[in-house]
Amino acid sequence: MSTAAALGLRRAIRAPGSTIERIVVLAAAVALLGAVLLFVGHSLQTMTGSAVRSVPLDWQGPVASPQAALRVASRVKRQPGVLAAVPAATGPFAGIEHNGPGGQIAAGAGAILAVPPDYLRHFRTFRLLTGTLQPGKIVLDQQLAATLQARVGDSVVLRPARGVKPVRFVVSGVGLVNTGDVLFQPLNPLIGPAPAQPPANVAILPFQTFAQKVAPALHPLSVGIAAAPGSVAGVQWQVQAQVDPRSLSGSPSNALKRATQIKNATERTLTGQVQFVDNLADSLTSAAGDALYAQALYIMLGVPGALIALGLAYLAALGTVERDRRELALLRARGASRRFLLQLAGLESLVLAIPAGALGAAVALGAVRLLVGGAGITVGRILVAFALCTALAWAGAVAARGSTVVDVLRRSVTEGRRTGRRDKPPFWERLYLDVIALGISGLVYWLTARTGFSAVVTPDSNPTLSLSIYMFLAPAFLWMGATLLLARLRGRLFSWVLGRAAGNRATTLPAFLAASAARRGAAVNRGLVLVGLLLAFGVNLGVFSATYDQQARVDAQLTLGADVVVDAPPGSVTRQKLEQKIAHVPGVAATSAVDHSYAYVGPDLQDTFGVDPATIARATGLRDSYFVGGSAAQMLHRLRARRDAILVSKETITDYSLRLGDLLNLRVLDGRTGHFKVAPFHVAGIVQEFPSAPRDSFMVANLGYLQSVSHEAGPNVIFVKADGDPVAVARRIAQATKPEGTVVRNIRRQTAQTVSSITTVSLSGLSKIEEGFAIVLAAAALMLFLVVGLGERRRELATMAALGASRREIAAFLWTEAALVLAAGLAVAALLGWILSEMLVAMLQHVFDPPPDHLAAPWLFLGGLVAAALGGALLAAFGAMYAIRRLPLGAILREE
Amino acid sequence: MSTNGRNGPLAALEGVRVVHGRGEAAVAALDGVDFEIDSGDRVAVLGRSGSGKTTLLHVLGGLIRPTAGKVLWQGRPLSSLDEAARTGALAKGISFVFQSANLLPHFTAVENVAFAIHAAHGRADSPLHPDALLALVGLSSKTENLPSELSGGEAQRVALARSLAQQPLLLLCDEPTGHLDSDTGERVLDLIDALREETGFALLIATHDSDVAARFDRTLELHDGRIVQEQRHEVLA
Repeated sequence: MSTAAALGLRRAIRAPGSTIERIVVLAAAVALLGAVLLFVGHSLQTMTGSAVRSVPLDWQGPVASPQAALRVASRVKRQPGVLAAVPAATGPFAGIEHNGPGGQIAAGAGAILAVPPDYLRHFRTFRLLTGTLQPGKIVLDQQLAATLQARVGDSVVLRPARGVKPVRFVVSGVGLVNTGDVLFQPLNPLIGPAPAQPPANVAILPFQTFAQKVAPALHPLSVGIAAAPGSVAGVQWQVQAQVDPRSLSGSPSNALKRATQIKNATERTLTGQVQFVDNLADSLTSAAGDALYAQALYIMLGVPGALIALGLAYLAALGTVERDRRELALLRARGASRRFLLQLAGLESLVLAIPAGALGAAVALGAVRLLVGGAGITVGRILVAFALCTALAWAGAVAARGSTVVDVLRRSVTEGRRTGRRDKPPFWERLYLDVIALGISGLVYWLTARTGFSAVVTPDSNPTLSLSIYMFLAPAFLWMGATLLLARLRGRLFSWVLGRAAGNRATTLPAFLAASAARRGAAVNRGLVLVGLLLAFGVNLGVFSATYDQQARVDAQLTLGADVVVDAPPGSVTRQKLEQKIAHVPGVAATSAVDHSYAYVGPDLQDTFGVDPATIARATGLRDSYFVGGSAAQMLHRLRARRDAILVSKETITDYSLRLGDLLNLRVLDGRTGHFKVAPFHVAGIVQEFPSAPRDSFMVANLGYLQSVSHEAGPNVIFVKADGDPVAVARRIAQATKPEGTVVRNIRRQTAQTVSSITTVSLSGLSKIEEGFAIVLAAAALMLFLVVGLGERRRELATMAALGASRREIAAFLWTEAALVLAAGLAVAALLGWILSEMLVAMLQHVFDPPPDHLAAPWLFLGGLVAAALGGALLAAFGAMYAIRRLPLGAILREE
Repeated sequence: MSTNGRNGPLAALEGVRVVHGRGEAAVAALDGVDFEIDSGDRVAVLGRSGSGKTTLLHVLGGLIRPTAGKVLWQGRPLSSLDEAARTGALAKGISFVFQSANLLPHFTAVENVAFAIHAAHGRADSPLHPDALLALVGLSSKTENLPSELSGGEAQRVALARSLAQQPLLLLCDEPTGHLDSDTGERVLDLIDALREETGFALLIATHDSDVAARFDRTLELHDGRIVQEQRHEVLA
């Protein structure tokens, strides 16, 4: 073992250039995979943190009495993993009054939250805007305080129920209750969380004060019986608890498992006394589903790149394959055992893997740190990354070395009986695995397409991805099939084309170049497989990420309406000529006024948008996918063609059995009378999405016609297309229209606020990491191809030099092959990258709202990718020229 | 005496020393060698393995630079020539036949010869025709074969044809029969002789075989990088 180690180390030191080259290539390969894994780990931790933080109240356990609440809470908070537990209660009140300077003001029924005075130390269900929660006093929700015009120090009279004596309280604070849906939900541990309509008026009392002064006048709720959603029917005694977030680490699945263990242990300790409604588990289950989807997506996007990068490590090893073969054969001839050669290969690989792993881990950590900061990168994580990168580098180095060792071992044993066994195609080729993989890919894609690509995350106690895993098989098999097919072709297509170009007999330099490349089809194909797949990886990644980002922007624009949206008070758009005023603001490219109102279709009140078909498409983006049965342009044409035309939702068409051209009577609010009146419209098309429209049913009509029947004061919204930075344009518009009382919003802010399925998984960090690596690796791949070519052909090139060929002519034999590989690689990348992107986008169309009309091409990145590959090739070509000049001709030509 | 129309020999080594390796591992492959060859000369360099024969041929052909001393080509130091001139000398003046044929593996036999014509003359319409050169070495039927499809003797004959394509003034042959059986080797040497008779190039051949050396006008015996003996032979026509 020690002899093998010493020999391995000596061989690595003896050829420092080749050793460094292989270490750098291995490091680049493992750094990509390491960065992906670190990023996924970091993302999962972030997802857990977000899920935990998003839950205002982890557990709510209904109990029968205030005494039980106090007793159970004191025991729960002593349980391991529990941060805090308090007795609490909710209950109704019939009304509340305040005698202020302006006279008596009364508010209607509402709900009371009763908690201990120190509640806010660990719970975030409300926050105090002013004052404190004090025994015997009351805190009013901001809205209730505003209604009653009550301030701290004022007295209010609370009436718990009808016919019950009212209770007077001094206001000790004003708070903001923003989690009423959770606080006042009906508590049934068997059903679980059921967020309810929050009450309009909320008052907060100290637990003891509530128990003594208010609760006796109210009916208690039975434990375990759900109240009707949206109402607080009686007193609900409960224990509220928070889990210690420090005990919830790792992925959402891990955190969910741990949280469930803590809850089960707590309930087991207090058997028969309390069972919790687990809001935390609900949130973590949802996050676990998202995490599975994210992992699948990350792996699908990242792993092909890392595997191709390991392929580069194999290519790097080929540079010394002849030397290795000679030396190993010599060792074998001198009696080295099979075991010794395997040990030598393993230890030599380790000599490369340790520095490559360290370098790769450093690059991976640096890249992740640069993008997502230092959060979550601990010493433990660094060590894990190093171990992982080293293991991968070792595996890559062994795989790259394996073929040489196997070749030497096989030759020495079977040299004499090789006849008849030569030139047999590999096993996978005889099984047609490439064709089978492509067939499976197509079949899986077709099957999932038939089911409408229902990539639905189904979070339950054991989160799974419904169909999604199978769907990801389609691109995975496409990768495999395409790789094997390229390997099967072995450059035969190259050889055929170049053979034709060279003619029957080469006599000129271009013909010599073509003839040489044609007969080196297999070697050229090796470069093509790696460069083509690497570029395809880059194209797929870039196109998918750009489409993903594009849809995030579309999502935000759909929610907001346009780059900039101006909400104006009724009448001001027409009276103040607001649209014209905005149109003159610098940076405004186009404007369109919209009337957002409501109308009844039968008993359904729907949002109605009055638009100007001539200008709306200039001021905002209208995608074809927003409409059914025609393009956006066709739908606007239909609106223009008929004054009373209206576009309605598919549900409206179905619910009211409507067809195109049918009369549709709407009840619209008449601005003159203040009453709804019937107005006739004609159905002109189906709309399913529209800028600023809600996700449920709505209608789009001609602005002029809508106003003629509703007699409203004019449009109340203006869509603005910005020419430049929307934030700056919005600021200028706000300044210019301040006197008119407008509210101006911009898309940048909206993008940050929009929370939808598409933004639950952040792709931007991963994309940046992988795009960076793709560019570096594309350059490295071409350089490596040239360097390996130089290594493999040094004797041939030296012979050319001895024949008197110029260095420029000799270098042409290297760079023309690199140019061929680059050109063919680009063709492969364009085709494969495009198919993969189409596949991924089609499969994930359910996460896009609205689905994309077309793929987005990130030209800057794609240009950078090509430029990097070209730059790498040029750099290597110049390097090759230099290396050829320094070739030790004498030494090379006397090599046996 | 010069026969090339210049004052001085066609090629010469003056006090040439070639050292391989550095420090303690340094080995002098040639150590103070003085040697001249004129146009039309037939010289054999005889010596055991490691005596410096190949190094002498390589240094004379400009493939390696001497550590000390001068290499003169047509009276001018080879080291004083710029790269283009050195390449020109290699392409048109000096030609090699190696122990291994060193054919370009991705070119057919005829393309190997055609490439040498291209490298030497740079024109497709050179008066030399690769088919004719291959016919000269008796390989008309193997013109379209790749080197991997040729026997050792055939490959060496293609190498000869290729060297003739350069229309050399000096042909340097490094153990051209080393990898061949004795009959084939004999035929290759006969062929070289015949071609020399026809074209008149000077011939310097490295060999460890004294019988082979005896076929030549002059024999230089090398030992540990030094010329230890020079012998002239009476050769029967």
